[in-house]
Amino acid sequence: MMRRVSILLTAATVLAAATACSGGGPASSSPGTAFDPQSCQGGTLYILDQTSATDEHFDPARIYTSGGGAVPSLVFRTLTTRKRVPGQAGTTVAPDLATDTGTPSDDARTWTYHLRDGLKFEDGTPITSKDVKWGVERSFAPELPGGIPYLRDWLVGGADYKGPYKGEELDSIQTPDDKTIVFKLRKPEGDFPYVATATQFTPVPKAKDGGTAYERHPVSSGPYKVQTHVQDKSLTLVRNPNWSRAVDDQRLACPDRIEATYGLSAAVINQRLSTSAGKDADAITTDTDLSPAELARISTDPNLKKRTVRGRFGYTNFIAFNTKVKPFDDVRVRQAISYAVDRQAAVNAVGGSSLATPATTFLPDQAAFGYQPYDAFPAGPTGNPAKAKELLAQAGLPNLTITLAHRNNDANQDGPAVATAVQEALKQAGVTVRLKAYDQASYRSAQTKPSDEPGVFLSGWGADWPTGGPFLAPIFDGRQILKDGGNYNFAQYDDPKVNAEFDAINKISDPLQARPRWGALDAELGRQALTVPLFHPIYLRLYGKNVKNTYLDEWRGSYDVAMVSVK
Amino acid sequence: MSEVLAEVRDPGAAVSGSPARARQVLRRLRSDRPAMAGLIVTGVLVLAAVLAPLLTALEGQDTTTFHTQLLDSARGGVPRGALGGAGADHWLGVEPTTGRDLFARALYGARISFAVAFGTLVVQLLLGVAVGLAAGFGGRWADATLGRLIDLAISFPQLMFAIALLAIVPQSFPRPVLLMLVIGLFNWGGTARLTRGQVLSLKSRDYVAAARLSGASPGRIALREILPGALPQVLTYAAILLPGNMVSEAGLSFLGVGVHPPASSWGQMLSTATTWFRADPMYVLVPGLSLLTAVLAFTLLADGLRAALDPKASLRGRR
Repeated sequence: MMRRVSILLTAATVLAAATACSGGGPASSSPGTAFDPQSCQGGTLYILDQTSATDEHFDPARIYTSGGGAVPSLVFRTLTTRKRVPGQAGTTVAPDLATDTGTPSDDARTWTYHLRDGLKFEDGTPITSKDVKWGVERSFAPELPGGIPYLRDWLVGGADYKGPYKGEELDSIQTPDDKTIVFKLRKPEGDFPYVATATQFTPVPKAKDGGTAYERHPVSSGPYKVQTHVQDKSLTLVRNPNWSRAVDDQRLACPDRIEATYGLSAAVINQRLSTSAGKDADAITTDTDLSPAELARISTDPNLKKRTVRGRFGYTNFIAFNTKVKPFDDVRVRQAISYAVDRQAAVNAVGGSSLATPATTFLPDQAAFGYQPYDAFPAGPTGNPAKAKELLAQAGLPNLTITLAHRNNDANQDGPAVATAVQEALKQAGVTVRLKAYDQASYRSAQTKPSDEPGVFLSGWGADWPTGGPFLAPIFDGRQILKDGGNYNFAQYDDPKVNAEFDAINKISDPLQARPRWGALDAELGRQALTVPLFHPIYLRLYGKNVKNTYLDEWRGSYDVAMVSVK
Repeated sequence: MSEVLAEVRDPGAAVSGSPARARQVLRRLRSDRPAMAGLIVTGVLVLAAVLAPLLTALEGQDTTTFHTQLLDSARGGVPRGALGGAGADHWLGVEPTTGRDLFARALYGARISFAVAFGTLVVQLLLGVAVGLAAGFGGRWADATLGRLIDLAISFPQLMFAIALLAIVPQSFPRPVLLMLVIGLFNWGGTARLTRGQVLSLKSRDYVAAARLSGASPGRIALREILPGALPQVLTYAAILLPGNMVSEAGLSFLGVGVHPPASSWGQMLSTATTWFRADPMYVLVPGLSLLTAVLAFTLLADGLRAALDPKASLRGRR
């Protein structure tokens, strides 16, 4: 999931307009006319990106998105989708193809959806529940790898299902009529509506499905259809005549045409957006944040500052302990490091208070996750080395030397910059920190394979949807310790009481009821010093001077391309 | 190889160790103003690097302490104040996002830069002179074999190989030593070729023939008769290698395979500073100008040295 998270980070970090910060409403930036959803149609929107937002394959079965993604969600409608509004309300689920966000029964083991009326594919054929079923089923086909991992685990019979191409159906998806679809899960999953935002829940017409060739011309159910797509280079979308706002209340779809360019460097994207010359005035980016140096420069220019938006994606950067490795099996050592850490230095290392907030909780500081403020080891903004020394003396380990593992670059904010800040802070507590850098590829496998896992290392975590479950379970649910790799329970922590609480909360299908339970669980886990939360990142993005209604949604921390206008 | 021929005709070459010759060289050097400027600047820089602990203590700073209170956190962590926060406490300002003292980091960076440059030179000279001597003195087969080895060393894609090598060596290996070895191992071909040329031209001279006839062993002839004659040219060439070595170290550090944090070197500083060149020019100027000054000074000195040792061959053709 962390791998996916980095994809999400690139695909998902968006903006909250400077205006959104003050008022919370959609921002309008151009001088003269204010944004009006009724007259926003027209023009061409340009997207300048580093990597293709479609995860290399523009096939809804293979795309891994949070909340449907930025560009994919323009072409692929799903049963539910993220609510397209700025602020915390944007972390909730809204019906998309369905009439509601789903009706749970049998302790959230069964979920029933009804399609709304008047839905059509780009060729005019009506969309039925059988098309949705086909779309989900084909995501199980081995020839279409990728996508979210949850369906295989959750749907009854999903673990052994090999896709529909050999004539086999998945019986746990039922379509009693053309408008109704029922999912049978093998365990309670109150968060099912959040997962139904993924592109695997897009209708795919069986008659047009050419398997791996489908990505060359996927059939649109959304406001735009694909005109041309050059792998990893460019994507051009034009209007889908069979879509209208009458059947979709979650997409404004203002521009007539959208042209995306991939393969640009971050510096080039930000330079082009800040210059905003020619077509770049009508441009945004879906994957490029401002770097600390760019922020420092832009903050002295009022015109550029106006064209900067701020967003959050629930993410926590932290120090992870492997409690199977000495001396981190001793809770006093973990507590000492928790006290000694200088969060202000860590925040500055990644670009200061505009780009990160100090974290004392593992859950991100957003209500959607069930955030409840706590600080299990209060040490102030710059740490408490005296208290740390005291704990280490109690543990019989004064003059401790440890090796902190980190990535060899700072792109994911778990590189030398943060490692050096931690090293310097622990020095004040008498702990000598040696640094060990891993390259990009080996760092992930070292972290996620318990036999290779370092004793202490820098890591980060973001969830696939904004609730407490996907944020906490992979890290702290003892049944998710995977000995052969892909393990995110870094502490290798297994407490039956905590595991039972995960099961209990998963039965709750009302997010508002689940939130306080996740928050309480987080506080309980925080006291055990299994991780040292360092900071939650904040994303700042620029947009071209003609672009309007720019806000970064709080589900993904990214621009919602379906809502921006260039007119 | 006109230089070589010129050297051969120079009667002083065979007696280069003599005091008279040394006085002559020094006199020529002293009258060469660019070279003297290079010498003074080089001396000051090397002295500053050697005295780095003292100078940073005088400033009251060190290389690793964070000074986050000096940063404008809301503006990406850029230092507060003009000139990157330069002032009485931090003479050259502080580093963005950490607040570490730039004067201290540049001085300690100079130690790495100089140490690696000189250490690399030792590796280059040992390898180059040994191979060159063996090729020139060892007969036809040795010359043919070693000659191709030298060709290989010169034509090797050094940068790619150095990056790969630096990336795979365990991190516990002392980094500056590794840098010396890696840069040295890929840059000795020129020294070897020059030594070989010198040896070939000296081999046939009368005093060498005299030594041979008087029954001296080949080893003795190579080390006692030929090597001293070849050394002035080789050492002059070495002086020119020095700034090149500094640039190589900076380049590798710039590419992220140099020293490990929290250590600093000029290349490493430049590497992290590039994105800041508009927001905090001071951060780029400190390591950039340091490197420029050092490389320029070394080059002027080396050029002057060459001219003084061998005025006829001087490319600059002065006086």
